[in-house]
Amino acid sequence: MTETAIAAAALGKRFGRRGGWALRECTFRLPVGRVCAVVGPNGAGKSTLLAHAAALLAPTEGSLTVLGTHPAAARERIAYVAQGKPLYPQLSVADTLLLGRELNPARWDASVAERIVAAGDLDPKARVRSLSGGQRTRVALALALGKRPELLLLDEPMADLDPLARHELMGLLMAEAAQYGTTVVMSSHVVAELEGSCDYLLLIGGGRVRLAGDLDDLLAAHLLTTGPVRDLDPHTVVESRTTGRQLTALIRPRGPLPTDGGATAPSLEELLLAHLRNPDAPALVLDPARTPAQEPAA
Amino acid sequence: MVEYRIDRRSGVATYVQIVQQTKQALRLGLLEPGDKLPTAREVVEATAINPNTVLKAYRELEREGLVEARRGLGTFVRKSLGTAPADSPLRAELDAWASRAREAGLQRDDVAALFTAVIDEQFSKGDQE
Amino acid sequence: MTAVTVAGTPAAPPFATARAMLRLHRPALFLWTGVVLAALALMVWGYGWLAEPAAAAYQRLKACDYACSYDQDAYLTYKDVLRYASYLVTFLPLLVAAWAGATLTSRELESGTAQLAWTQSVTPTRWLAAKLLAPATLLTAGTSLLVLLHHLLWAEGRRADVLGWNDILIFQANGPTTVALTLFGLAAGALTGLLLRRSLAALAVTVAVTAAVGFGLNWFRGYFWPTLTVTAPLKDGPWFGGSVVSYGAVTSTGAHVPVPDCAQYWSAAKDCRAQLDKQHIVRFYSEMHPYSHYWPLQLTATALTLALTGLVVLLAFRVLERHTGTVAKGTAV
Repeated sequence: MTETAIAAAALGKRFGRRGGWALRECTFRLPVGRVCAVVGPNGAGKSTLLAHAAALLAPTEGSLTVLGTHPAAARERIAYVAQGKPLYPQLSVADTLLLGRELNPARWDASVAERIVAAGDLDPKARVRSLSGGQRTRVALALALGKRPELLLLDEPMADLDPLARHELMGLLMAEAAQYGTTVVMSSHVVAELEGSCDYLLLIGGGRVRLAGDLDDLLAAHLLTTGPVRDLDPHTVVESRTTGRQLTALIRPRGPLPTDGGATAPSLEELLLAHLRNPDAPALVLDPARTPAQEPAA
Repeated sequence: MVEYRIDRRSGVATYVQIVQQTKQALRLGLLEPGDKLPTAREVVEATAINPNTVLKAYRELEREGLVEARRGLGTFVRKSLGTAPADSPLRAELDAWASRAREAGLQRDDVAALFTAVIDEQFSKGDQE
Repeated sequence: MTAVTVAGTPAAPPFATARAMLRLHRPALFLWTGVVLAALALMVWGYGWLAEPAAAAYQRLKACDYACSYDQDAYLTYKDVLRYASYLVTFLPLLVAAWAGATLTSRELESGTAQLAWTQSVTPTRWLAAKLLAPATLLTAGTSLLVLLHHLLWAEGRRADVLGWNDILIFQANGPTTVALTLFGLAAGALTGLLLRRSLAALAVTVAVTAAVGFGLNWFRGYFWPTLTVTAPLKDGPWFGGSVVSYGAVTSTGAHVPVPDCAQYWSAAKDCRAQLDKQHIVRFYSEMHPYSHYWPLQLTATALTLALTGLVVLLAFRVLERHTGTVAKGTAV
């Protein structure tokens, strides 16, 4: 059994020969059994990254392996729910699940799919086109989880869902992940959607990996310091703001901190915003397989 | 059976909330030795939190000797937590301190803030050891 | 690693993918069945009840010189039925092209369901194969049946002389070229859908391309088989039966020259005769196909269309591979 769900090495993708780079020099490793949030502003390259993992796009440069192999070779073991949760509108719920069975002959677990649909109080005869957003998401998840995937890729799964449906479906996802050890990767541009549910973070900005690693480790690697204006060497400064005589900074500490100021752990939101506001701040990729953390020279 | 309520805005780490709520249930007698804790699947299905967080909390409770994991069966309560008796010397000391604070002219909010600050300082230090 | 077979889940029977495709396109399946049945009913009626009386009526009309009675209704009804049937069969490939262009792959790419289909266990290649094979089987069966019946309907009433074998409406509708053209429409729909990713655009392009191939086949069909050269004496004029590819005049030296203008409207006028003599024209000739060339011409056209279809299918698979990233460097470990 492989221990790596997704590994990217200098992955780059350019659409068309003269187009801009949607992804560039993306290197990270996601271990199996984690729930990973792929976060970043709209157009950062999140969907492009997920589509590569789902074997829907081929890299322009670099490489990407999924579950230890080429994404196309792992097709049976992954499930992917694209943005907008596309389904066949003319099919009934039951026919949609039948489609899942027919297209996944060796892996389909009808009981899993049917349980998910039944828990949502869905009429199996109802046409997909007549369903609400939350119900559609439920059917899309049933189709994805019925395949019993080892890796589940979800592109903006919680977008346009009301808070109740969002909570319910996230609970469903987490329950499946808990029971089968499924690795889950989901993208979002709304951080609050994923907080608490994810234990691994991939922050993408401008097509590049800005942060990657265990969420707690990433938070622990940063400090929010306040104190008199001063030179912050030798620490890595992600962001610093001066207000009057006070300096507030998000840093990656290297060595002892000055004693005449406060230092607190940043929240997830503070961490992400600081990195997004400062595209030039060096990236931090924490690889659990390699210690200590590798920080590429800025 | 306990039902966990996760407050994502509280600033307290999620796994700590589960540990605290389990301990609270033990103190209040809602959980007794031999009782089964909900499975990770049950917890995350209701709360939508990360499964690894639940496992981390259960490991923490196990480390403290409060629960034990039985392979294939679930996690069970091993011992209960005694409540601090209402007439303990600690309570008398706190009582005396509160009345001194009041005589010194502190409002209820001031006292509460002071109390919370001291607790935070004392116990966060303790957690890191 | 081998796939995990979950207890209690019977392995899907063979052709499951094809069955899934048919379920996806159920409305089209119903529509196709309806069209085939309607055309069948029309032609069976014409073949069984109209062709023979119409032919008899026409022969009677031809034989009589003056005020004779014949079954005009039978003749006219047969003529209409044959025309409708011919139009229907001739435009069948365009109907299929329109459907294939609008729905087969373009709609899946437009609505995003392609991403759903391409991430199932079944590979995108098998998905496209099923997408093509399932309808191709039904289209071949239905179109063959209709073409066969159309041929019978036409042959049975041939003596009624409504439309000749080489008429644009009859030539393709009477033979397997129509079946091949239907398959071409299907394949072209799949390819344009993958290329354009828009339902309406793919519909328009597929219909246009299929119509162009259909017209092209008709336009060039005279060259699909060596012609027969026949000559006729001057008194018969430069007009011949069969399917004429080119015609002209023959001089006394045996050279082929264009027919002089005056002879185009043959009236045996004296001055034209003088003109022909002046150019030493002794006979007219024609490069033509008699009815006996029908099958060679028809089969060559079919083979060409099938070859074109094969090329389009190949291209469609290549485009799909590029879409799904399965041609990445260092494929599979």
